[in-house]
Amino acid sequence: MELFAQVAPKTFWNAPNSSTELLVKIFIGLAIGVALFFGLMAAPTQVRKPVLFTTTFVSGLFYVVFWLFPQPINRQPDDAPRNAMEGFSFWISDSQAVIADVTNIVAAFLIGLGIYSLLKVHAGRLVKQQKDWGFSAVLLVSMLAMVIFGYGDFIMRLDPANSKMAGSGYVGWTFWQFGKDLLFNGLLQNMDAAMFSIVAFYILSAAYRAFRARSIEATILLVTALIVMLSLMGLIEFYWGSSVDGLHLSNNFKLTNIAAWLGKNIQTPALRGIDFGVGIGLMAMGLRIWLSLEKTGGTS
Amino acid sequence: MATNDPMPQKSLGDKLQSFPKSALYLALFVLVTIPLFFPVTLPNKPIEASIDFYAQMMKLPEGSKVLIASDWTNSTRGESMGQMEALLRIIMRKKIKFVVYTIADPQSPQVARDTIRKVSDEEVKAGGKAYEPFKDYVILGYFPNGEGTSAAINNKFLSICDGKKDYPLNSPPRDVMQSPVLQGVKSVADFKFLIVVTASNSSTVVLERVTKVPKMFMVTGVMVPETTTYYAAGQLMGLCGGVKGVYDLETLMQEGLNVPGPKEVTSEKYSEKIPGFPGMPPNGNGKGARYYPSLHFALFLLILVVIIGNLGMILSKKKAS
Repeated sequence: MELFAQVAPKTFWNAPNSSTELLVKIFIGLAIGVALFFGLMAAPTQVRKPVLFTTTFVSGLFYVVFWLFPQPINRQPDDAPRNAMEGFSFWISDSQAVIADVTNIVAAFLIGLGIYSLLKVHAGRLVKQQKDWGFSAVLLVSMLAMVIFGYGDFIMRLDPANSKMAGSGYVGWTFWQFGKDLLFNGLLQNMDAAMFSIVAFYILSAAYRAFRARSIEATILLVTALIVMLSLMGLIEFYWGSSVDGLHLSNNFKLTNIAAWLGKNIQTPALRGIDFGVGIGLMAMGLRIWLSLEKTGGTS
Repeated sequence: MATNDPMPQKSLGDKLQSFPKSALYLALFVLVTIPLFFPVTLPNKPIEASIDFYAQMMKLPEGSKVLIASDWTNSTRGESMGQMEALLRIIMRKKIKFVVYTIADPQSPQVARDTIRKVSDEEVKAGGKAYEPFKDYVILGYFPNGEGTSAAINNKFLSICDGKKDYPLNSPPRDVMQSPVLQGVKSVADFKFLIVVTASNSSTVVLERVTKVPKMFMVTGVMVPETTTYYAAGQLMGLCGGVKGVYDLETLMQEGLNVPGPKEVTSEKYSEKIPGFPGMPPNGNGKGARYYPSLHFALFLLILVVIIGNLGMILSKKKAS
């Protein structure tokens, strides 16, 4: 089996994982990015605006062209373009993967920006001993502990001597793995689940207070919702289904069949209409952002 | 100024409309919790979407490859973890190799890794084969930009694998391109299915951009109506929705499809017999079977309080008129 058959050929834009070459390239890229960022911050508004408009337009233009320009179908690795149009089509198709990498890096920086913002707000609150500074302390300690144990676990797993850790159970685990497991699976994941489960209580309370048959429309909605909910209750559905089972006509009155009819003939068309409206709205908003016509939510 | 006026008596209608929140919360807590400690088996009739999902997976030949977008975390583990486990059980018993990636949450790859390891351990205990990382499955990790990544998956799948490493057993981390799972894969079309296990809008992100491979979704209960739109249009080969979907898959794994028996599950769409894995885990005790009674009682309470509230409103209106 040729295990290296699919490894991408070496170019200026890639380097082996964990190599010095890759680290140097990442550092140079980061330095250029930071320099551009601060340069843009320091630039006067009349210089900054055209740069931002142009960057936004060119970035959006790529994907507009990518979606609208015909793409090569069933392209083979040794296929060559026969004319300029095909050449452009091949170029667009090949570039998309690179652009996706770039957008992934930009999106990853957004996560970094979020972390920086959290640190700034909560460290400031802690230092100034402002109201509820204790919560900020908990957040910062939790964040730090997760980073330390997560990174410790990651570093250990890179060592070939610790490869047994990838197996089942706790084989080969050390303090770092147990620490990370306690923080991630023991605390974070359970708190995550507990937080989400609270929604059920709000839904019940809201349904009790608000779900009233005050008009014909509300009554139709109420009856429909009751049928769909009853159809999800296996016990009710089973006994109801057994009581109407037999004739073809009466089969139509099985709860699951009524719920399926409602879903296919009422709910789905209604949702399609809503989706269509949302789609048009998104397209309009996308155009406004792409052409820098949208001013709200920005620096202005 | 204080007065000696007696407090106005609440009518029955008003009382029915003003149950304290704490009583509602307590009732829900009790009704949802009790079935978790005292398991009850409820009858189940799998719906068409779940049957499609099961049938499509069971028809895959051994050694096939599927791509899984594991876009869930433990916030929705009540539904998503059960779905992932049911999917993995079918995959492991059919000896299907798979690639996992996520575009939804940085926590997702670790959650997926833990779930795969847990199901693999259970399969070994039941006499099955252990699923080894790198050899039987590969985890590509988290991609922060879902839109661009999904377009790249469709356009040039191997580009998203470039530079990614995974952890094989008893050897250092290796480039995923060297994994046996990815051998022979040139495009996303080389996978039999793209299966999205999600609790977010990553399903639509994938649906809009990945067109070269058939898709099946496993979504949370609240996402079922919007996702049914795509299933009804034939854009999805199968759909597993919420706890009901998990219970459907577990029922089908136990009873099979069109296999004669006391709890026979039939489908007009499929004429052939598609046997399940009777007696194998979860053997009637999966997450679907365990959580379905809780959902059942929660829905019962919801219906009850809505009826009580409306009854109260009608009584109050009658009294006022």
